[in-house]
Amino acid sequence: MIYVQIRELVVPGQLIAEGKYKVWDGAFRDGDKIYSSVVGLADPRGDSIRVIPLQGRYFPKRDDLVVGVVIDIHYSGWIVDLNSPYNGNLFVSDLLRRKVDLTKEDISRYLNIGDVLVAKVKDVDERMRVLLDAGGPGMGKVTKGKLVEVTPAKVPRIIGRKGSMVSMLKSVSGCDLKVGQNGRIIIEGKNIKMVNAVVEALLMIDREAHTTGLTDRVRLMLEKIKEGGENG
Amino acid sequence: MSEVVSKVKRDYIVGLANQGKRADTRAFNQYREISVEKGLIESAHGSALVKMGNTQVLVGVKIERGEPFPDQPNSGVLIVNAELLPLASPSFEPGPPDENSIELARVVDRGIRESKAIDLDKLGITPGEEVWAVFVDIHVLDHDGNLIDASALSAIAALNNVSPPRIKDWTLPEFPLVKKPIAVTIAKIGDKLMVDPSLEEESVMDARLTITTIEDGSICAMQKGGIGFFTLEELEEAYALAREKAEELRRHVG
Amino acid sequence: MVEKPEKLLIDGKRLDGRSPDELRPLKIQAGVLKRADGSAYLELGKNRVLAAVYGPREMHPRHEQQPDTAVLRCRYNMAPFSVEERKRPGPDRRSVEISKVIREAIQPVVFLEMYPRSAIDVFVEILQADAGTRTAGITAASVALADAGIPLKDLIAAVSVGKIDDTIILDLNKEEDQWGTTDMPVAIMPRKKVITLLQMDGHFTPEEFKRALDLAFKGCEQIHELQKKALRDKYSIKVEEGQ
Repeated sequence: MIYVQIRELVVPGQLIAEGKYKVWDGAFRDGDKIYSSVVGLADPRGDSIRVIPLQGRYFPKRDDLVVGVVIDIHYSGWIVDLNSPYNGNLFVSDLLRRKVDLTKEDISRYLNIGDVLVAKVKDVDERMRVLLDAGGPGMGKVTKGKLVEVTPAKVPRIIGRKGSMVSMLKSVSGCDLKVGQNGRIIIEGKNIKMVNAVVEALLMIDREAHTTGLTDRVRLMLEKIKEGGENG
Repeated sequence: MSEVVSKVKRDYIVGLANQGKRADTRAFNQYREISVEKGLIESAHGSALVKMGNTQVLVGVKIERGEPFPDQPNSGVLIVNAELLPLASPSFEPGPPDENSIELARVVDRGIRESKAIDLDKLGITPGEEVWAVFVDIHVLDHDGNLIDASALSAIAALNNVSPPRIKDWTLPEFPLVKKPIAVTIAKIGDKLMVDPSLEEESVMDARLTITTIEDGSICAMQKGGIGFFTLEELEEAYALAREKAEELRRHVG
Repeated sequence: MVEKPEKLLIDGKRLDGRSPDELRPLKIQAGVLKRADGSAYLELGKNRVLAAVYGPREMHPRHEQQPDTAVLRCRYNMAPFSVEERKRPGPDRRSVEISKVIREAIQPVVFLEMYPRSAIDVFVEILQADAGTRTAGITAASVALADAGIPLKDLIAAVSVGKIDDTIILDLNKEEDQWGTTDMPVAIMPRKKVITLLQMDGHFTPEEFKRALDLAFKGCEQIHELQKKALRDKYSIKVEEGQ
């Protein structure tokens, strides 16, 4: 028995279902009953119950694409801030894809404290120790662009179903976007006005992620700014 | 717990500054949106909540009987205290005041004291024994840059909000606030000067200069902060900016 | 009021006009601060309370990290201007005790095991005090935790009950707290109807105690409704015409 509708806003402790369902993120079971544990949108599908949170910090998961900031260097790698309670560990070989003679090389020439990088989460253990890999295509050090932080929970909305929202953002603004699951996004574009327009769009999605018709509203807003002339 | 600023962010903001722009599209001489709510805390004798962009500072003024300083037996006493509450920023830790909260309190204090904004000589009760003590407590609630200007504005608005009938056994006809000093902070990024630095701008600025002026434009307090430096021309430019903006900000005091 | 009023109840009404089982006007808003991960602002009578949550976040000092759970930390603080006579800034013995009982009132509902080695910091700031600040603080802190997206088994609602002129009352104001016989702050988990905070000073017969608890549960039910509303209101968007 399900007591809520799809995309209904629920709060912690609210009863959302009763019976033999599989319980995923954002919900928990107490005896026969299933309750929401977060403020979010109920997502009952088939025999699974889940609540999509509208808030919350980033929790690294394997295969996530993330945008990190290097906060420390040690002998064989770097500690990377992921906008999460848990930092990422990146070893030299996972950046360069080759063996490095650590006695001869100073790895700070590849990445230094304060550098921004795009990486993938390679592995997370039970103690939440996070291993990163930054050697793949499109990954590695980022040298320019505007770095924006949004609520990590809203990233799926920024990407959109099958990437529809982020493709629209790119095509209307003419900017390039790298979206990290950890809520950090790099915007790169020659036209400052459009870069700022994308920032506005991202903040709008962050605020209104729980509403419908959002993609169209965002597109309209971007097009209005684009047509507003070149008064950057 | 200091936060590492990413190079990308630093380059972006400095790059914009060199083009005469700011990340939030403000002009160099433009403050963020300011709102001042007065009298919201009834348990205080005067109070004000200032919002400067997303920065929020609440000031409460309490006036109580106290002992005078031995060398000024018939003058009132001014005490300014600032709390950088841990809820205002991930980098504020609970504990006794650190160098930042002490600097903040002392800069705001200097503005009020040196301008003689409060006529302390009117606040005596019994010479050598009892005077009125004015406590200005700065409570920083949300830190998004430029705590000094927000705190100073909130302090003077709270003092202006003091209502004598609410002070127990008050001995004077009114509260002697005679001037309204206003602090204006200018940040230096690259070789550009801009007012009201946001948190982002503060994290990349070379230095800041706070100039507190009174109604006729004369200076009553200054504070340079940060590890960079200012040239003489920059000082003049900053002073002109401070006089211009202080007039605008003063209108919010009411 | 400096002297004790002769009666705290006149013709069944309290001095501020309320009946014995009536709450003071209550307002709760979620998400009022930008930097904090979660926050809530609460007004109950003349109380003005701000609660904020940071976390889960990296825990310092590292040697206090727990390998398989988050550590919940709480700080209750009163602003110097929040009370009649200015209070010196900084923790005193009373605020240290209150910080502890607030933490213990909330901890039972937080899914701490989901965030090993991290810290969840809860700050309760009393901007203006009018009795019942610790229970108002717990109520606000629960909303702030939910606002931060931290998974909870339930919200915690809290209220004080007491006794004046031999009558059991709900939600004591300053005069009733000062001149009444008994003060009992209570926090409950509404879903399971269990108690996570209970303190008392004064005098209750067994029968009075039972009635007082009953009243506390009723009061917390009302408070719980407003907590949920505060969280929902944050996400209610007014659709603008012609957008």
